[in-house]
Amino acid sequence: MLDLADVHTYYGNIRALRGVSLSVKPGEIVTLIGANGAGKTTTLRTIIGTVRPRRGTVAFDGHRLDTLATDRIVRLGIAQSPEGRRIFPRMTVMENLELGAFARRDRESIAPDLERVLTLFPRLRERLAQKGGTLSGGEQQMLAIGRALMAKPALLLLDEPSMGLSPILVETIFRIVEDINRQGTTILLVEQNARMALRVAHRGYVIQTGRIVLHDAAAELLRSDLVRKTYLGEK
Amino acid sequence: MSARRTLLVAAVVAYPFVDRALGLQTVHAVSDGMIYVLLALGLNIVVGYAGLLDLGYAAFFAIGAYAMGLLNSPVVGSPLYGHPWSFWLCIWVAAAVSALLGLVIGAPTLRVRGDYLAIITLGFGEIIPVAIRNLGDITIEIGGWRPIERLNLTGGENGVNPVGRPYLPGVPFETDPVPWYFLILVIGALSLWAMSRLRDSRLGRAWMAIREDETAADCTGVNPISTKLLAFALGAWFSGFAGSVYAAKLQAITPGAFEFQVSIMLLCMVVLGGAGSLGGVILGGMLITLFDRVVLTQTTSFVRAVGRATGFPALAAVDLTLWRWFFFGLGLVVVMLVRPQGLAGRRVGPVAVPDDDDEVALADAAPAPRVEAIPAWLRERARPDGAPTPAALLEVRGLSKAFGGVVALSEVGLVIPPGAIVGLIGPNGAGKTTFFNVVTGLLRPDTGRIAFAGASLVGLRPNAIVARGIARTFQSIRLFPQLTALDNVLVGQHCRLTAGVAGNVFRPPAVVAEERRARERARDLLAFVGLGTKEAEAARNLAYGDQRRLEIARALATEPRLLLLDEPSAGMNPRETETLTELIGLLRRELGLAVLLIEHHMEVVMGISDRITVLDHGVRIAEGPPREIQRDPTVIEAYLGSGYEQDVAVTDR
Repeated sequence: MLDLADVHTYYGNIRALRGVSLSVKPGEIVTLIGANGAGKTTTLRTIIGTVRPRRGTVAFDGHRLDTLATDRIVRLGIAQSPEGRRIFPRMTVMENLELGAFARRDRESIAPDLERVLTLFPRLRERLAQKGGTLSGGEQQMLAIGRALMAKPALLLLDEPSMGLSPILVETIFRIVEDINRQGTTILLVEQNARMALRVAHRGYVIQTGRIVLHDAAAELLRSDLVRKTYLGEK
Repeated sequence: MSARRTLLVAAVVAYPFVDRALGLQTVHAVSDGMIYVLLALGLNIVVGYAGLLDLGYAAFFAIGAYAMGLLNSPVVGSPLYGHPWSFWLCIWVAAAVSALLGLVIGAPTLRVRGDYLAIITLGFGEIIPVAIRNLGDITIEIGGWRPIERLNLTGGENGVNPVGRPYLPGVPFETDPVPWYFLILVIGALSLWAMSRLRDSRLGRAWMAIREDETAADCTGVNPISTKLLAFALGAWFSGFAGSVYAAKLQAITPGAFEFQVSIMLLCMVVLGGAGSLGGVILGGMLITLFDRVVLTQTTSFVRAVGRATGFPALAAVDLTLWRWFFFGLGLVVVMLVRPQGLAGRRVGPVAVPDDDDEVALADAAPAPRVEAIPAWLRERARPDGAPTPAALLEVRGLSKAFGGVVALSEVGLVIPPGAIVGLIGPNGAGKTTFFNVVTGLLRPDTGRIAFAGASLVGLRPNAIVARGIARTFQSIRLFPQLTALDNVLVGQHCRLTAGVAGNVFRPPAVVAEERRARERARDLLAFVGLGTKEAEAARNLAYGDQRRLEIARALATEPRLLLLDEPSAGMNPRETETLTELIGLLRRELGLAVLLIEHHMEVVMGISDRITVLDHGVRIAEGPPREIQRDPTVIEAYLGSGYEQDVAVTDR
């Protein structure tokens, strides 16, 4: 469904990705784990088209993404919940969610999807008329995920969905990730919380300084020494 | 002095003589250019350093010029008729008057930023020329009594003419442009020297911190009000110099010389050359004036000559100087497209880098904090000073805060004993960050009291609270992105330094020593948090984990007794989180620093907190030691979740 082949991405002269190859098959949850600065967010940015690879290809359902503009990529069925809560701060929660569905053509099924998002995040329902910028950090995180879901994507890119959320919400978020996946959305999940991510994912990739160093079934990665020491913090 | 600099000085000194030998006659134009450069440099303090967009800067130019004109004119009707003051006195008076008006215009703009500030300065820029025009004929009538009748204060539309020249024995200011050139050069060079010293001082850092993030600067101990006023006053001071020299050189001033387009042209010089760069502003100012005064006029005569020679009357009548605004506009658009940071502006690396640090070895990504690395001076400060230790360092009682109808905090109480680590947890949106914002002075509580070391904090500005000894970090990192790591930490030292404007310009030994000590301390702190090799890196270019640690170093630089950390481990992996936990523990153990910690990583909170307060919907639902909190059914229900017990098992191992 999604295929990255030998992707090299630069910021100026700094090499952020040095030949990343990974694939996501329909119906999967795939997680990408790695330290800060390893290139996880850059990988997502390269897929969604906010940075361009200098070498290599990104393909999605037979379309080449690495030459398409971001809005076209989104119309192909990919949505991203960006890291750092990039919501629209001066628009209401409702408007933020409605904008998530901006590129959709199936207008009549938007209402049920809104209902679904508000059921997943009851907190957002309480705050529908509030400006996005007045939400607390964790609430903004929920809004960013909710907005991505409103696009009803075939492929959902999640960048650290658990960041800044309370333990109970972290659990909820991962349960939601599994739910969405069961309902047919393919997911590429970037997470610092490697333990939780690997618990819900089918497969995982480990990225270090711009290269994929390990790739396996999630259950296997949970048992791997490298992952346990480096990313699970076990002694 | 470097060879390049010697060469530059020689060229600048030799230039007027070369000009005369070659018969170029450009000294007048270049001297005028230098006056505009001086103005642009003054504006650079306001716009480039402090980041306050000023669209009416020509007003200060006018005030400087009229101060000179009115005090140093033999003309009939001027208030000092018959007793003009000396030029050498007037330039100081002009600078002081301008600076004073800088304060006056600065005051109403303190609470506004961006568009609003620009509009206010625009208004001020319009008011001054209009006022000058109308103060040429003042009559005040009170019921038939006219204390002032037809007083001509400013010369109205006609301006002041003539204005007295400077007098130096044997120097022909009347006939020769060269002495003017050198006079302006000396004033300009001295101003430049003073400005560069200010830039590299505690004040320069404070201006740039305000420019980068005013709230973060306030919470790092920089007083935004006095810092911004000072930028306005000093910017105006230098334009007072420029205006007064301009008036004396031109021998006459009219209100038309200080219209809106002058402000815009000055702004163009700053932006074209590169806001915040002294060299760039000089370059921009010279380019624009010389293009206007030399290139356009010469090209016009050239084109006319060509037209006459070839018999094209259209070319022979061309006047390119009428097109100057077209060329300015075009040039500015091109520069902004090609080099948005200006011709000489510093390029501060790629925008989106926090995720791409080159070749980071994993071991270095999160260096473990070492006891030996704790700066000795911090230890020194932490030593008890014999004063009786209060039972509570921070004592919050009955704190409430509502936003419109939404109650964010309701009757919250919290006590932090000296040297204790207190965790503040709760569901998202429970009011934890609001609590921080109230304690640090960003928000005013509706009711309740906050006492720090026995004294109330309510009503104090954030920077005053920092000075009392409370420092904080932010949930979404708020560094000064364009400043280096070292400068970020140095801003933290701001409230512990005392040098004023004169001290920073003339640098007596005490100031030099103070600055050296601040730098040593800042470097110590960078080394302590593991950023010793990255001091020259712009904060925005640091990896995420590095930014988090830099924020802690900046907070420590304010020399706090209480540290407020807002989700310090958000976005960190387990390994980095572990290092962070060690760091916080170390600060308490070795330095006796008290910490209030908002955190969602339970292995951090439960591991190091002495006590924990739990908020939900703005209400305190639990308080106690970690063991009790993690078994409290209310807390499990609202916050921890049932799956938490598994994780407890993991962390207890």
